Amino acid sequence: MSLEVRAAVAKATRAVIPIWPLSSFIAVNPLGGRESEDFSVAAVMRSLSAFRADYSAGRITDVELAAVLTNRVPELDDAGRVTLNGRDWTAIDLLVADLVRGEQAPSAPVLPAAPDRVDELVAKWVAAYLDPHPAWPMPNRGLGLWAAWGAMARHDPQLPAKARRQLANLPASADEGLANALTKLGLDDGAADQILKIEARRMPGWVGYIKWRAAQVGDIDLTSYLAVCLTLRWALGLPLPEPTTESKTELAAKPQTDLATDATRAATLAASLSPEPAASATLASIARILALHPPQDHAATWQAAYEEHYRRRLLSSLPVTSERVTDPKVQVVMCIDPRSEGMRRHLEVDPDIETLGFAGFFGVPIRFASYLARGSVDALPALLSPRHAVTETATDTVQAKLRTNAFRVRDAFTAGGHASETLPPAPFALAETVGWFSGIATLVRTLSPSLAGAIDAAQHRTTPLLKTEVTVATAFTLEERAAMAETGIRMMGLDRCAPLVILSGHGSTSANNLYQSALDCGACGGNPGAANARAGAAIFNDPNVRDLLKKRGLPIPATTYFVAAEHNTVSDHIEILDPHLIPESHAAAVREFTAAQNTAADLLVVERAGLLPGASEQPLARLRARADDWAEVYPELGLVRNAALIIGPREMTRGVDLERRVFMHSYRPECDPDGTALETIMTAPLVVAQWINHQYYFSTVDKNLWGAGTKTIHNAIGSIGVLAGQTGDLKIGLPLQSVSVGNRDLHEAMRLTVLIEAPLERVWAIIARNLVLRQLFDNHWVMLTARNDPNSDWQRYSTSGWISDPLAP
Amino acid sequence: MDGLTKMTKIEIVISGRDAPPIRELITSAGATGYTSVSGVSGLGHHGPHSGALLFNESDTLTMLITVLPPEKASALISAVRTLLDDGPGVMFVADTYVSRPEYFG
Repeated sequence: MSLEVRAAVAKATRAVIPIWPLSSFIAVNPLGGRESEDFSVAAVMRSLSAFRADYSAGRITDVELAAVLTNRVPELDDAGRVTLNGRDWTAIDLLVADLVRGEQAPSAPVLPAAPDRVDELVAKWVAAYLDPHPAWPMPNRGLGLWAAWGAMARHDPQLPAKARRQLANLPASADEGLANALTKLGLDDGAADQILKIEARRMPGWVGYIKWRAAQVGDIDLTSYLAVCLTLRWALGLPLPEPTTESKTELAAKPQTDLATDATRAATLAASLSPEPAASATLASIARILALHPPQDHAATWQAAYEEHYRRRLLSSLPVTSERVTDPKVQVVMCIDPRSEGMRRHLEVDPDIETLGFAGFFGVPIRFASYLARGSVDALPALLSPRHAVTETATDTVQAKLRTNAFRVRDAFTAGGHASETLPPAPFALAETVGWFSGIATLVRTLSPSLAGAIDAAQHRTTPLLKTEVTVATAFTLEERAAMAETGIRMMGLDRCAPLVILSGHGSTSANNLYQSALDCGACGGNPGAANARAGAAIFNDPNVRDLLKKRGLPIPATTYFVAAEHNTVSDHIEILDPHLIPESHAAAVREFTAAQNTAADLLVVERAGLLPGASEQPLARLRARADDWAEVYPELGLVRNAALIIGPREMTRGVDLERRVFMHSYRPECDPDGTALETIMTAPLVVAQWINHQYYFSTVDKNLWGAGTKTIHNAIGSIGVLAGQTGDLKIGLPLQSVSVGNRDLHEAMRLTVLIEAPLERVWAIIARNLVLRQLFDNHWVMLTARNDPNSDWQRYSTSGWISDPLAP
Repeated sequence: MDGLTKMTKIEIVISGRDAPPIRELITSAGATGYTSVSGVSGLGHHGPHSGALLFNESDTLTMLITVLPPEKASALISAVRTLLDDGPGVMFVADTYVSRPEYFG
């Protein structure tokens, strides 16, 4: 029985996508478990009135609507035409008119599960279990959620006496508890499966987080969670849970249009197109045409047209002819993150600088612990498991000792302050003694964020800087390091090396921001990318690695040196890392780059201010001080407006302002003879980019169901996540302030447009042998356009083959 | 098969992201261990599957192999069948013989 119960739980929660904790926020597609279905069936779209407003504003045009209809309704070719008031109307004309002027079908209601008593109680106990108070942890916590809750629930004053009595004799294990609850609720196998699925969807935040935690930590599982939920439901005598919106969509048959509905639509449309009453035969013809595009398909057509407008504009913006930079003095490799696009564009104003895009972990997946760190971070894509631990070694032991002592003193003060805050009577004494000083610090931070930032920086300067090296040579064998270097070269098409190559990861800084890690590097597991950049540079500079690369036909000149760096996406400065390792021969080139970068950073900060709320009039210093302002809910805008991924050489896009909306991965087919590099790009960076894109999409379409709602009412549950208010479900997705300003959306909810320049048969073969790609492209979660080479026409991917793209330039 | 002990071998091929609950079922069934082979390639009901992907372990196929006494196997087989009812994945069950039965519970 126990195994059957666990299997039923696993089956009911198969579509649940794990939710990472806030401390290492990973963007996920909240509906990723439904990628085997078509996007238009599984997902929700904006309201029809919103699309019509975009049409009125010119954001969607007749041309795009017609193009999408031609693609989506192939029967239109033979659908005939009608004459109304002397004008000849094709079937496409009529369907476009129906979209724009016709009767508007009501949008499907978005109904999150109404919270009930069980949700409230379960959220309370799960939060207490997962985020224990340091002084008062939940009793019996070491025995697991079921046992710990069972021991406490019988004393819960929020439960009526009868329920408490019923909870007094619960089975010992969660498996038995869940089986017992299902029996008491009178559910047989079939009904139990359905109820488990519905119960698991009531609080998607907690359930997603528990799924992550079960796999990564192992101190809780979904069987225990569901056992608690259903046992409480039985003990309280509450009705079985109602289906949520998502499951209602599955359970309810899609509304079907019948002839009467089509006739009504035809009459309404004809009346809007002609002042003269239409003949009955004409109305019947219109009805037959409208029946080809029923109202339930309208939202998907609008959505596709909305995206087509952007895709067409993007393709038109690409240069017809392209020239490669000759003999660059500096190459800067940056993350594919759209925020890098702005920096790359401004850097390339200098003709000696060439930029490339690569996944921000630089192909070096590591678990990283900095020098004397108490913990480590998994600096790698969420698609991988950490297998290699990298740390730092000090190159100067005397200096390391000084720094260690300084940290000990600082830690002693911090620990003392923390203890005073958490021990029961101590906060009163703390407020009386040091409260005044805290008050002054609070005033400074509130009234002058830049001064507070300067004080913080000065404090850090009192700690001696430490010169270290990452221990990549001990974490990976020589063969592994050479393989990683070769993979990187082939993936980004690094077919030549400038004297100075800079590997720049990225990270963000902001104060009082629970979503700080959402602004860091997704390819580095929601962490800043400095560690990976340092590890990558160490590998590329390793003479033994270079020897092996040379034998494989990938020589790196002895005059080339790789430097690690990190792009701060709030200040837009690129900080050079490990300066003590840079040889004198390259010091001048690094100084020149730093000067060029400072200019680019200033230009980019000003450019970004155009979109940042309240920033357009702010001076540079104030814009950068947003990072230190604890009242600032818009320190930067992250990946807002992301819309496309381009895989190809930089010549495709150099000189074009892509408005920081495009993920860019460099790729040259000639460096990838067997297509392995392209397959790696399409199955990893592309997948991660679509996760990010769909997180922004759904956080925009429904800001409370799929997004985290407004930051202003967030309460943190440790570093796990946030609640909106004091109880309820853990919020998933991005906060409102990541995608909107008030009622105005900053993000445009579009699926990812992917452009690839590579042999089409290679792209096709890669998709054909990877289920994850077949699902994404065939089920329309991502749109793909590709061309063989710069001289070929663009082709759209479809399940039946490549289609010549009439809208592309 | 002189001196060998009869056991049941269960092989399950499933997507990497769906493998954790199967591993949990295997250990809950009392199996003392399992072998996990990631990056399995082949052709199946859902079409061709590429082998190991360099930077993606979640979307490749994983083969889980376990051997356990027949009296423990039936519950595991039944549970895995439940899990595979309406999703991708296949299970193969076969008799096998081992030389050191104490290793397999």
